Amino acid sequence: MKVLDVQRVSRSFGPVHALRDVSLAFRAGEVHALMGENGAGKSTLIKALAGVDRPDAGSLMLDGAPVPWGSPSAVQAAGLRFIHQELHPVRGLSVAENMYLDHSYPTRLGLVNWRTLNEKARAALVRLNLGHIDPRAPMSDLGAGDQMLVRIAATLIHDAGEEAPWLYVMDEPTAALTGEESEHLFSVVDELVKRGAGVLYVSHRMPEVLRLSARVSVLRDGEHISTRPLAETDQARIIHDMTGRDLGGLFPSREKPLDPKAAPVLSVRALRAGPLREASFDLAPGEVLGIGGLSGSGRGALLRAILGDLTREGGEVQLDRKNLARHPADVWSQGIAYVPRERASEGLMLGRSITENIALPHLSRFARGGYFLDPRRQTGAADEKGQRVRLKRASLHQPCAELSGGNQQKVLFARALAGKPRVLLLDEPTRGVDIGARFDLYRIIRSLSEEGIAVLLASSDLLELIGLSDRIAIMQEGRLTGIIDADGLTEGSLLAQFYETVDEDQAA
Amino acid sequence: MTGMIRRFGGLLGMVAVIAFFAINLPETFLTARNLLNISQQISMLAVVAVTMTVVMVMGDFDLSVGAMASLAGVVAAMLFLQGWSIPAALAVAIGVGLVGGLFNGVMVSLVGILPFVATLATLTVFSGLAFMISDGRTIFGRDIPEAFGEFARGGPVIGSIDERVLVLPNLTLVAIVVAFLVWVVLEQTSYGRRLYAIGGNREAARLAGLPVVWLRLSAFAFTGIGAAMAGLMYASRVASANPTQGDGLMLTAIAAVFLGMTITRDGQPRVLATLAGVVILGVLDNGLTQMRVDSYVREVLVGAIILLAVGLSALSRHGFSLRRR
Repeated sequence: MKVLDVQRVSRSFGPVHALRDVSLAFRAGEVHALMGENGAGKSTLIKALAGVDRPDAGSLMLDGAPVPWGSPSAVQAAGLRFIHQELHPVRGLSVAENMYLDHSYPTRLGLVNWRTLNEKARAALVRLNLGHIDPRAPMSDLGAGDQMLVRIAATLIHDAGEEAPWLYVMDEPTAALTGEESEHLFSVVDELVKRGAGVLYVSHRMPEVLRLSARVSVLRDGEHISTRPLAETDQARIIHDMTGRDLGGLFPSREKPLDPKAAPVLSVRALRAGPLREASFDLAPGEVLGIGGLSGSGRGALLRAILGDLTREGGEVQLDRKNLARHPADVWSQGIAYVPRERASEGLMLGRSITENIALPHLSRFARGGYFLDPRRQTGAADEKGQRVRLKRASLHQPCAELSGGNQQKVLFARALAGKPRVLLLDEPTRGVDIGARFDLYRIIRSLSEEGIAVLLASSDLLELIGLSDRIAIMQEGRLTGIIDADGLTEGSLLAQFYETVDEDQAA
Repeated sequence: MTGMIRRFGGLLGMVAVIAFFAINLPETFLTARNLLNISQQISMLAVVAVTMTVVMVMGDFDLSVGAMASLAGVVAAMLFLQGWSIPAALAVAIGVGLVGGLFNGVMVSLVGILPFVATLATLTVFSGLAFMISDGRTIFGRDIPEAFGEFARGGPVIGSIDERVLVLPNLTLVAIVVAFLVWVVLEQTSYGRRLYAIGGNREAARLAGLPVVWLRLSAFAFTGIGAAMAGLMYASRVASANPTQGDGLMLTAIAAVFLGMTITRDGQPRVLATLAGVVILGVLDNGLTQMRVDSYVREVLVGAIILLAVGLSALSRHGFSLRRR
C-alpha cells in the first residue's frame, strides 16, 4: 500500500505563516478530505505538493523515499495527478486530443494515427464508465462536468515505462458543476478508489465530504488541527475544527424591529427585462427581502433588471418615489449598490489593488473638482469600508488576486458601501465563501439592515434566505409569484413554495 | 441550425459571388482559361495566407509578411545581378525568410513582445532593408535571368481549347504543394495539433508540459519562409523586383484567414478554410476587374464584404449585443 507522507511542512509569505509544521499522510485506496476556511493553508499545501511552490521546511516521502520539492515532473513521476477547479480545456480540439495534451500522440510514419488515438482515449473513458463521452467530439460540446471527467480519464493514459498514477488531488472539483455532473464525478471517484487509487479531496461542501471521504483532515490558520476517520467525526465537529468556534447562531437576529409604517424605499411595478417576465414588490427601509426560486427562475435577472444591466422592457422602478435611471452607472450614483454573483469575472479587477477595486464606481466622488483623482481620499474610504467589513489584508495596495474568496467578497461589499447606498442588491453573496467569512458577511448584512439600508438578497442557499430575510419573494419561470413571511419557515416548506403553482390573483 | 447557417453561409456566399460573375460575365468568367488565370493570380496570396494560418492557429499573427516578400524578391534579384545561379539565389532568399521568421519568433516568444508590436517593428525593418539593398530601384529586364521569369509563365499542359494550349501554371502548382504540406503539418502531426492546443488555451498547453515557447518561436519560421516564397513567385511573375511589390499581401492574407475562420465549425483557422478565403478574395478581384470596376471602388467593396462575412459570423454566434458592454 502506497503512502505519501507530508512531514513538518512550513511555508511563510512575509509575516504570514501559510503553513506551520503540518504533517499529513495520504494513503492509496481511500478518499482523504482536506478542509479548512479560505486562507487556512489548503492551497499552499496543494501548490507545494504539485511542485509549483517550494515550502521553507519539511519533506515529502513516498513510501519512505524522498520526493524533491519544487519539481512538477518528480511529483508526476511519483504518481500524483492534480485535478484543478480551473479546467483549462482546449475547446477547439477533440476530447481525445485533450486527453493526449501531455503525451505524445500515437503516430504512424510521423503522422498522427487518429484511429489509435481515438481508440486509446475511448478505452480510458470506458474504464471509468464514461462510455457516453465520444472521444472524437470537440471539447467545446461537453459541459464543465464532462470536461472534468475527461481530464480525470486522461490520467489513465500513460506512456510506456511511466508509473501509473495512484493519488489524485482534487481541488474544489465540484465548484463549477451541476448536481448531476457532481454525481457523475462522485461515481468516478468511487471507481478510482475501487481500483486502488487514493484521492485527496479538497472541498468546502460538507455533504460531499461526508459522503465520499474515509478520513477528514482540517487545517486552520496554517496549522494542522485534526485528522479523523469519518466514523469518528461529524459536521458540527468539522465546523468546530475549521473555525475554532461553534456556529450555533450563524444568522444574527434582528435587534430592532422594522417600522411597519415606513414608506417603501424601492417600489417595483410590473418590471420586465430579458428573462425576467414580471415582478412587483415594495421594499421598506432596512428590510431584507430574500429572492428565492429554483435555478433559472430569474433570481439574478431581477437584480440585474433593477440595476439596469438588463435593459428594462416594461414596468417601472422607483427609488424614494422617483423613477430610477436605466443605466448601471446612473443607478449606482442614485444610491443602489450591486454585488455580482461572479466575483472574478463580473466583480473584481483581480490584478488591481484593494483600494482601486473599492473606489472604482465612486471615482468621481473621490476626485477633486470631480476630475482630479485624490489618492488619499480613496485610500481613506477604502480603509474605513475595509474595516467595516472586517477585511483581512496585508495592505490596501495588495492586489485582490492575493485575497481568499471570502475576503474578495468583502472587497465587493466594501465597494458597495463606499457609495453610501440606500439599497443593496446581493446576488449569491456567500457562494464559494468559507464558513468563517460567511459568518462575517451575515453579520455585515444584518448590521447594514439595522442601519436602514434595504437589502435584496438573491440566493440559492435556503438556510441563508430563511435566516436573514424578513420576507422572501418566490420566483418561478421569470415571474415573481408571491412574497411570504420568512418567520417560521423551514428549508422544506420554502422549497415546497418554489414548486407550487400560484394563482394569478394570489400573486399580486 | 444556426450552426449550419453559420458554417455554410460563407460557402453559400462564395457560390453566390461566383454565380453573380458567371451571369454578368457569361463570355469570359467561367472559362477554364480564366479559372486557371485566377489560380495563378491568387497563388502568392495562397502561400502567404496558408503559412499565416500556422501562426494564427496559435492566436498570433505576423504583420511582416508583406515586407518580407518584398525583401526576398529584392535579395534574389540583387544576387542575380551579382551573377549568382538561380537555385543559389533562391536558396539565399528563402534563407532570409527563415531567419526573419525565426527572428519574429524570438521577439514574440522568447522576449515576449506582443505579436502586433514585434512584427510591426520587423515589418519596418524588413521594408527598410529591401530599400537599402536595392537602393530603392526596381530591378528588371536583362538583370533578371530569363529562366526565372519563364518559370511563372510556364507549367504542364493539361489540354487545349480553340487550338490554344491550356497550361496549369507552375505558380499554382507551387501554391498547391505548399498548402498541402502546411495542411499535413497542422492537421496530421503532433506538432500542428500542439499549435492548435496553444491557440485554444495557452495556459492548458503550458500546464500540460508542452514546450510552448519553442513551439511559438518555431511556428513563425513558416510565415517567414512562406512570405519569402511568395515574394519570389511575385518576382518571377513580373520578372522584376522592387522593394514594395509584396507589401499588399499582408492585409489580404490576414483577411483571407479571417474569412476562412467564418466557415469553420468552431471559428478556428484551418488551412482548407483559409484557401476558401483566398479563393473568395481572388474571385472577387478578378470578377470586379473584368467588370471594369475602378480599383479604388474594388478595395471598398472587398473591405465591405470582409466586414459583412466576419460580422454575420459573429452575429450568428453571439446574437446582437444590445447590452452596453
